[in-house]
Amino acid sequence: MSAPWVTTLLEASAVVALLVAVAIPLSAYMVSVMEERPCVARKLLGPVERGYARLLKLDPQQSMDGKSYGAAAVVLTLIGVVGLFCILLAQGVLPGNPEHVTGLAPDLALNMAISFATNTDWQAVAGETHLSYAAQALGLAVQNFLSPAIGIAVAFCLMRALKSPSSGLGNFFMDVLRAILYVLLPLALVGALVGIAQGTPQTWEPYAETQLLEPVGVDAEGQIVDADDPTAVDTVTEAMVPLGPQASQVAIKQLGTNGGGFNGANSASALENPTPLTNLLQGSAILLLPLTLILCFGRMVADRRQGRALMAAVLILLGLGVVALVSAEFAATPQLEANGAVYTGSLDQSAGNMEGKESRIGTGETALWTAFTTAAANGSSNGSLAGLTPLGTVVPLVFMGLGEVVGGGAGTGLVSLLGFVILTVFIASLMVGRAPEYLGKKIGPAEMRLAVLLVITPALVILAGAALFVLVPAAQGSAGAAGSQGFMNLFYAAVSAGANNGSALGGFNADTPWANGILGAEMLLGRLIPLICTAALAQHFLQLKPAPNQASALSTASPLFIVLLLVIIVLVGALTLVPALALGPVALGL
Amino acid sequence: MNAGKLGSIGLRAAGVFLAATVVLGVLYPAVVALVGQALFPWQAQGSLIEVEGVTYGSAHVGQSYKEATHLWGRPTEAVVVSQVTDDGEAVLWYGPENLSPASQEFADRVDQRVKEIRAAHPEQGDAPIPSELVTVSGSGFDPHISPAAAEYQVERIANATGKSPQEVRSIIRQCTDAPFLGVFGQERVNVLEVNLMLDGILEEPL
Repeated sequence: MSAPWVTTLLEASAVVALLVAVAIPLSAYMVSVMEERPCVARKLLGPVERGYARLLKLDPQQSMDGKSYGAAAVVLTLIGVVGLFCILLAQGVLPGNPEHVTGLAPDLALNMAISFATNTDWQAVAGETHLSYAAQALGLAVQNFLSPAIGIAVAFCLMRALKSPSSGLGNFFMDVLRAILYVLLPLALVGALVGIAQGTPQTWEPYAETQLLEPVGVDAEGQIVDADDPTAVDTVTEAMVPLGPQASQVAIKQLGTNGGGFNGANSASALENPTPLTNLLQGSAILLLPLTLILCFGRMVADRRQGRALMAAVLILLGLGVVALVSAEFAATPQLEANGAVYTGSLDQSAGNMEGKESRIGTGETALWTAFTTAAANGSSNGSLAGLTPLGTVVPLVFMGLGEVVGGGAGTGLVSLLGFVILTVFIASLMVGRAPEYLGKKIGPAEMRLAVLLVITPALVILAGAALFVLVPAAQGSAGAAGSQGFMNLFYAAVSAGANNGSALGGFNADTPWANGILGAEMLLGRLIPLICTAALAQHFLQLKPAPNQASALSTASPLFIVLLLVIIVLVGALTLVPALALGPVALGL
Repeated sequence: MNAGKLGSIGLRAAGVFLAATVVLGVLYPAVVALVGQALFPWQAQGSLIEVEGVTYGSAHVGQSYKEATHLWGRPTEAVVVSQVTDDGEAVLWYGPENLSPASQEFADRVDQRVKEIRAAHPEQGDAPIPSELVTVSGSGFDPHISPAAAEYQVERIANATGKSPQEVRSIIRQCTDAPFLGVFGQERVNVLEVNLMLDGILEEPL
């Protein structure tokens, strides 16, 4: 038998190969439906498109300008925030509330509304104890469709601008519909049914109350003690099984790079993620659309080498992160090994650090998922991230801190990556004394300003949020621990929100007015600024005349360019992250 | 951008939000529920294990076991009593431990668990304890345990129940699931199923 980490890396390679194999035809399909090319799906669902256009009084053929496109993306996001905010406040009196939960406090409701409308899915409280069925299905899940659709739409807007010759930026409202109707909804329907078959609930019945095989005592702090323990304040004979429309929500949480679980435990819960098969499918779904969109880019600019080069860059970063995280988690800590009293080998069990990991999933696939979910701006988890080894925590922090470039969110990931590409083209061209141009479009000062803003927004938002957490005494209370661990809890939250990821270290005390406020502001700025920059950039590229000397332009599909791109990404990321990493996980791991 | 243009964008965006709320917020989960319940009624209702009118739990939710006659699962620390039934009784729900495996607090808890487990398993002597018996899972309610952790308990269960070790092993084997395609995920034992069979409540595994 080979070493367990070797097995995991082979599994990882198989998963990525499978993903790329699916992404190739899926990208062709996506380009067809988004670009109104004839295909079977459009023939079948054409009436829906036409009905929608009539309902909104739209001319589907009419392209929007960059300003309108960006404004529409921002407005739909903000309407989502307001609508979801109202649902969360009112869930106590709305129907679909069999557990009689009450409306959320305004600061919490606003934080959660922003979180789901911005594709972040940061969850300050657990869904199964704080949210009604209606709030989950009618509120959160709707944003789980709309927010990735907005990201995909804006990415296509930019891709259309980079096409030569370009025929316009497209219509935002038609793009949102097509992303949902042809891509997100069909995939989610299939995913949800597979989930149910494997054991994920989908019902409107109230939570089940079940007989405990062994009654337990609970002490004043809510910890389990023996039933006859003198500190027991209560004897409990029943356990709760949270039910509800879980499968429909889990499917779209993964496909749409959302990540918000129905339950607080997210996909570590065996209700949301019952078997190794669901774990494999959900883990793969995390990266499916981000990778597919990269290949869509190559098809859109009619040069598939461009898409392959970006895919290579992303897979190199992903591979490095996976190897680091997997090897960190297979090395158990001395605290766990307890001088040899605990067996952490691989005979008849999963080796390594099983703290915070599920028995059916194991160390390797939890590490793999953690890398995927922070590479893509997903944020769902199949274990407790607080249980990662200190060095294992570095990988999620780096992936998020790079700013959605290793796959990133649906649409937003591709856009961030293109921001870095433009920056790299500019720097590389100046180094060799050429006029910077990309795909035959000359890059001027205006385009550079927008691209730089796009690239550094996550870093600025993250550092501003982290600074507030550290400097404001009332906000420090969220640290949940002292010293390096406490700093890491705060910094992780600031990174996760600013990068629109949504994963969290469990020790972080999330539901406080300061944390809700700081993270809410981070999520909103980290989403809206890039959306606006992207639409503006698209408008600029659309108006640019093709550059005259294309033959002498820098090749943006060569291995050399891929290396340069990686260097720039790592440099920007390192400037953001290194000081904080040294104070957090590195200090903790030494 | 003039106000009229922004207004028409706002109206359309509101229309999209409302249409999405109806189609994706109501129709989509309803269709999934209808089809799912028709095809997989047991799973869609939470995989509840019901025997003679008593619901003993979900196959996907772990419980806390300390009796010598039962197979023990992952430790269940950090328990919250978050729900109260209509008749006012507290109901258990579990959460993860949320401790760094490099922290002193974690080391102390592991030492404590090692002591308790050693005391309950004198026949194992100083043999190393399989890690899943001393680590809290990601959810806090992991329904499974590794075959190594189950094997560690076989003699204790046999002594306490009067069954032979072979009988106990046979029950454990019947409640063991293999990895998907032999590769993905882990071989794991469903603890509730084993205990229901040990208690004679279930005659055969699910």
